[in-house]
Amino acid sequence: MEKSQPVGRLHPITQIIRQIYSIFEEIGFTVADGPELEDEFHNFDALNIPKDHPARDMQDTFWIKNQKLNIKDQKLESQGSALLDVQNDQDRMVLRTHTSSVQIRYLETHKPPVRIIVPGKVFRNEATDATHEAQFFQVEALYVDKNVSMAHLKGTLENMFRKLYGPDVEIRFRPSFFSFTEPSVEVDMRWKGKWLEVGGAGLVHPNVLKAAGVDPAEWQGFAFGFGLDRIAMLKFGIDDIRYIYNGDLRLVNQF
Amino acid sequence: MKISHNWLQTYFDKPIPSTKELEALFAAHSFEVEDINEAGWMGSGETDSVFEIKVLPDMAHYCLSHEGVASEISFITGLKMKNRLASEVKVNIKDEPKVKVNDPKFCRRYMTRIVEVSPLQTHSPPWIYNLLDSIGQRSISPIVDITNYVMYDIGQPLHAFAADKVHGSLCVRPAKDGEKIVLLDGRELILTTSDNVIADDEGPLVVAGAKGGKRAEISEQTKRIIIESANFEPTVVRRTSTKYDIRSDSSKRFENEITPELAYQGMTNACHLISKYYPDAKFGPVVDIYPAKTKQTIIEFDPAYLEERLGMKIPLDKAKEILERMGIIVSSLCPTSGKWSLTIPYKRLDLVIKEDIVEEIGRIYGYDHIVGILPPKLPNPPTMNPGFYLCEKIKNILTSKGFSEVSLYTLVEKGEVETLKPLAKDKAFARPDLSLGMAACLERNALNADLLGLEAIKIFEIGHIFKKDSEEIHLAIGARQIKKVKGLKSENLIQEVLETLGKEVITSHSNSQDDSDDVISKAFLQAKIQPTGIVEINLSELVESFASKADLKKLSLKDLNFQPASNKRYTKFSLYPFIVRDIALFVPEYIMSETVWQTIEKGIDKAGAKELLVKHSLFDVFKKDGKTSYAYRLIFQSFERTLTDDEVAKIMNEINGALKAEGWEVR
Repeated sequence: MEKSQPVGRLHPITQIIRQIYSIFEEIGFTVADGPELEDEFHNFDALNIPKDHPARDMQDTFWIKNQKLNIKDQKLESQGSALLDVQNDQDRMVLRTHTSSVQIRYLETHKPPVRIIVPGKVFRNEATDATHEAQFFQVEALYVDKNVSMAHLKGTLENMFRKLYGPDVEIRFRPSFFSFTEPSVEVDMRWKGKWLEVGGAGLVHPNVLKAAGVDPAEWQGFAFGFGLDRIAMLKFGIDDIRYIYNGDLRLVNQF
Repeated sequence: MKISHNWLQTYFDKPIPSTKELEALFAAHSFEVEDINEAGWMGSGETDSVFEIKVLPDMAHYCLSHEGVASEISFITGLKMKNRLASEVKVNIKDEPKVKVNDPKFCRRYMTRIVEVSPLQTHSPPWIYNLLDSIGQRSISPIVDITNYVMYDIGQPLHAFAADKVHGSLCVRPAKDGEKIVLLDGRELILTTSDNVIADDEGPLVVAGAKGGKRAEISEQTKRIIIESANFEPTVVRRTSTKYDIRSDSSKRFENEITPELAYQGMTNACHLISKYYPDAKFGPVVDIYPAKTKQTIIEFDPAYLEERLGMKIPLDKAKEILERMGIIVSSLCPTSGKWSLTIPYKRLDLVIKEDIVEEIGRIYGYDHIVGILPPKLPNPPTMNPGFYLCEKIKNILTSKGFSEVSLYTLVEKGEVETLKPLAKDKAFARPDLSLGMAACLERNALNADLLGLEAIKIFEIGHIFKKDSEEIHLAIGARQIKKVKGLKSENLIQEVLETLGKEVITSHSNSQDDSDDVISKAFLQAKIQPTGIVEINLSELVESFASKADLKKLSLKDLNFQPASNKRYTKFSLYPFIVRDIALFVPEYIMSETVWQTIEKGIDKAGAKELLVKHSLFDVFKKDGKTSYAYRLIFQSFERTLTDDEVAKIMNEINGALKAEGWEVR
């Protein structure tokens, strides 16, 4: 009887991250990372999502319980009051709702031009089902240079999705809104005859560049953020996102 | 937000595109249509289509209304909208409400007047009834329906008080601590000074911008009415409505911010409708407290900027036409510079900077015209991120040693960092380590070892963990030996791979063979294996050491040997338990295993159990006295149910029968 050492498998998300990294390395992008437990400034304010702005409703957020809550706050908390969401507490922390927070962290410490991708775990406080998880992976890209346009964004996305899904893939933009980009677009990919929504993108909002200490009169950029789980689920045909995070080798060992 | 097709048509003389056509146009140029439903109109054969539109915060300044959505049709198609500003009604009584606004920063504008209606009407005009019904709004009373109609029509929330129930003068002021109000729905709120109310001499009547109170509620019998058309500051309305969970169609519009200019149109349109429906209605003079009149935004715009940012050529006359459709006044700043001065309509609070103009022209002209290009090439490859490099290298070594990577849940039952509103009690904390999740994961996978065809479960995870004051990246490796092998324990499997990691993680990347290598090697070689067969290592420390000592220029993607993602498609697995059966037999020496397997399959076929056999393996072969012994492991599992022992016993009987029919000896 033949005895071979079974090969260990990389998690499907890692496989996708590696392929995306290879695609982007070729055009000059490196990897950046940041904390998953993020402060309010980097997750929201610096991304042009001010306190008490309706844009904050676009993401259900896991706020972290502050050990230093005063008595009044504890009362509110016991009532489950949403007022906690609107208090002006400097130290508020969140489980990052997007990898976009790393845009700010990177620009704070690196002078442009900048080409980075940020693969990482993010969190949303929403009920889970076959297509939604409270945790999932995103890949963010940030390109800051002189003379950056939507054409660069489109070309970069076409390059990525054609290498991931095949040369026939088409990309289209639909108007959308994200506080940290202007213009903002939803990105759709046409694959196997169907248009599929794959993520959000746009040109970096001047307020974001300013918040990170970059002069928007001199520099512009594009950014996008896509769900890696969705990319993996489409590519591999996985029908339930929950299998991706339960450590079941019946899934992992298939790939 | 619900938007009626029939309602949109009222803004145009010419027919607007069909529902389906509009859906596609909106998606390409404006916003997402999430759903379309049909609505029937009472008392007429007419039907209506209702869009469910996802209006995002930038467009919410003007598109939480039929007028706003209709304006998008005009921007996209060029169809001209009717001028629908109603004419002002005649003032024919002298009474006017006494009003005081305490904080003009909160209440930017307050318009109000007294209206006396007669004769009383019990039902709303059918056309208003039908339009409200289309968008799922219940008819309440003619006056309330008219004020609601105006809100859904142009986006200005209005309020109507029963004048005789208002005592003394109206005052827009912060609530007093502990002040109470009973809302229209009967709920009682205890307010604080951070909330704002509209009160009379006796106390609060309305939570400003959010919800009306019971005390001055109007009914069909109300003859004297105070109409309010006001503008409130968005964040205060948002805080109050969020705090008490009293979000309403009114608070939604205020918290997204609307222009104070709109209050005039709201008051005028509402009074015009009242005068049409109550021909004998009498109107008092309008009180208009508007101390700081809003200024129109002017944006200086260089049309050359369009092509720079959009990366496509748009004819200037086309760009100008798009802006003019939006009611933006385009004038040349000076003939030589070519720059434009753009005067923005009041309601377009979303248009502030030149990038906003780029988006407006881009989306209406169409992003489909953009031809993609790659960013310019760089002379050198990018610098590798040392942390990423180190983690991926570790993954390579571990998979080469038969360890599979898992990705587990960050939110767990216990830890040091707690979330404020957890999804579930057992998911309230960010994980303090990887080991606990890994132990459970080993346990679950061990149950499936036969199904997976594994003699040992070998897994690892690299992920973030959270302590009270720090966040670290950890590696956890777990192993569980399933098949009993003498002298082989789970710990041995880990020990072996740790030794490999200690040797191989640091190879040629370091500038010198100094102690930095040792920090990383030692971390692996001296790691403590837990009795559960798990080891956990803090990679953050190693990354730091690696980044400071490694020659980053030498780190190359090639070393990591990244492969494209697997091309395999996922095969579903059954969630029901499986049953394992072994069968061993002696056959004459010359009989090959293929022949034996074909016979076993015959038996399975006869039992009608072909799809229940999910896995099989030949796990033992030996020869003795001119005979060969073959031993097979068979795994049965159903996609639809839990298999019983009896069912499997029947299958095994058929297999035995088939083997015996060949004259072979089942052991």
